[in-house]
Amino acid sequence: MLSLVGKDIHVQFPIYDHRSRSLKYSLGLGQIAKGINLLANRTLKVGGQIGMSEAGKVVIKALDGISFEIYEGDHVGLLGHNGSGKTTLLRTLAGIYEPISGTIHANGRVFPLFDLELGMDQDATGIENIWMRGKMLGLSAQEIKNALDDIAEFTELGDYLQMPTRTYSTGMMLRLAFAISTAITPEILVLDEMVGAGDAAFLARANARLKDFLSRTGILVLASHSVPMLRQWCNKGMLLERGKLIAVGPLEDVVARYEEITPN
Amino acid sequence: MFSLTSKQLDLAVGDLRDGVCSWRLSQYLAWQDIKQRYRRSTLGPIWLTLSFGMQILTMGYLSAALFGNSVAKSVPHVCAGMLFWSLITQIINDGAVLYVSSSRYIVQIKSPLTLFLMQVIWRNVIVAAHNATIYVLIAAIFVVIPGPGILLWLPGLVLVLICVSWLALVAAVVSTRYRDIPLMIQNILTLLFWLTPLMYFPEQLGRHRFIVDYNPFTHMIALLREPLLGGVPTLNDWLVVFAITVFGWIGTFVFFARFRSRIVYWL
Repeated sequence: MLSLVGKDIHVQFPIYDHRSRSLKYSLGLGQIAKGINLLANRTLKVGGQIGMSEAGKVVIKALDGISFEIYEGDHVGLLGHNGSGKTTLLRTLAGIYEPISGTIHANGRVFPLFDLELGMDQDATGIENIWMRGKMLGLSAQEIKNALDDIAEFTELGDYLQMPTRTYSTGMMLRLAFAISTAITPEILVLDEMVGAGDAAFLARANARLKDFLSRTGILVLASHSVPMLRQWCNKGMLLERGKLIAVGPLEDVVARYEEITPN
Repeated sequence: MFSLTSKQLDLAVGDLRDGVCSWRLSQYLAWQDIKQRYRRSTLGPIWLTLSFGMQILTMGYLSAALFGNSVAKSVPHVCAGMLFWSLITQIINDGAVLYVSSSRYIVQIKSPLTLFLMQVIWRNVIVAAHNATIYVLIAAIFVVIPGPGILLWLPGLVLVLICVSWLALVAAVVSTRYRDIPLMIQNILTLLFWLTPLMYFPEQLGRHRFIVDYNPFTHMIALLREPLLGGVPTLNDWLVVFAITVFGWIGTFVFFARFRSRIVYWL
């Protein structure tokens, strides 16, 4: 059975500026600037973990002791205000950030989908981009071949698929990117705020395709500010505030809590 | 300050294994890089070859004029030397900006970090293969026939590439944290260009010969160049490059295992 379990996850970001990133800072000159701690009054904390520099280092506690258990069939809506740690959590789930402490265990292949157009090249043709994007998504040549007809049909781009994508309109580009990214069958899907552009007819078709795509997905974690969107796609909810998980459970309960902490 | 757990070692081994095993993907990405660079130009990657050819003719001629060598001797020498010098140094220079330039991918897709290293190596091997046509042309014009040493040329190439890849990986990791490093590396390599027998022959240095003998790049170049010119690299060349590769990789691996998971935080 697919599962995604996290225990006491901590993620902290060191803050580097142009000074601390250059060598002379670490070699000693930076000590002079050490007293100036610009960010100390926020939710930040001075600490040193990685040992490259002995000087006091400013870190952001992006995730602060997060624990959760997500199982097959759970479609989790991730709520939280800007800067609450949603994106960091998604990236941690995807294995991109390794937590400095705590564990995360995924039973099943985690598939992150953040930027639909990642790996696409303006000067390449639509077909070439399908290949490029497909390879980036980890599809085999056979899988890409199988998906080609489906993508061509959905996008209705026709002969445009043979043209460089710089000739596409924004809507056409989005259609193509969307079609490729939803051609897969993910076990565990990690999705950041879906984009809604294009004409009304396309949106209706996109919705149908999205529905089909998400119904094939074993576990979904979807971050969004839009409660209606989460109501449409999710059955569970998690609420983040300042890097802490303050509510977990059925979506409606979490939404209620979210609306409580949201100033009107 | 420096602690290394067995879990970190395991993860680093996994990264290295996955990076090497997905060679199809890294090769594909390398080709895409080259295609992207030359899209909409008529001659495309032939520009690589042309500019290399012009550089070689100029340098070969100058070498002959300055150091009193015959053109027939100096042009193939310069050409073979520069072919491999550009391969080696470009991998290191590209390595230095590796993670910064691929940051968009790294923060969005979980992929082995050594995959991008493989991409850089492939890309430069492809470029070198284009440049090699110039060497073939020059070898034909000056009738340079490779000796029996050519049998060990391919193993030499593989060894040098493995050796250079640790240099590139260290450069990549350190440069992500300290953004001055790529500029420093560029400077050092420019300096080393003069200290490597590319335009001149080592013998011509007389009692100053030690400056090229202590330069590891001299030995890497010798492994690759001498067989093409009909000579044989010395045992010393082999031993030096072999030792640097083995000890370099041991150190690099420990270093990589320790800092691998931090790289994405430094971006």
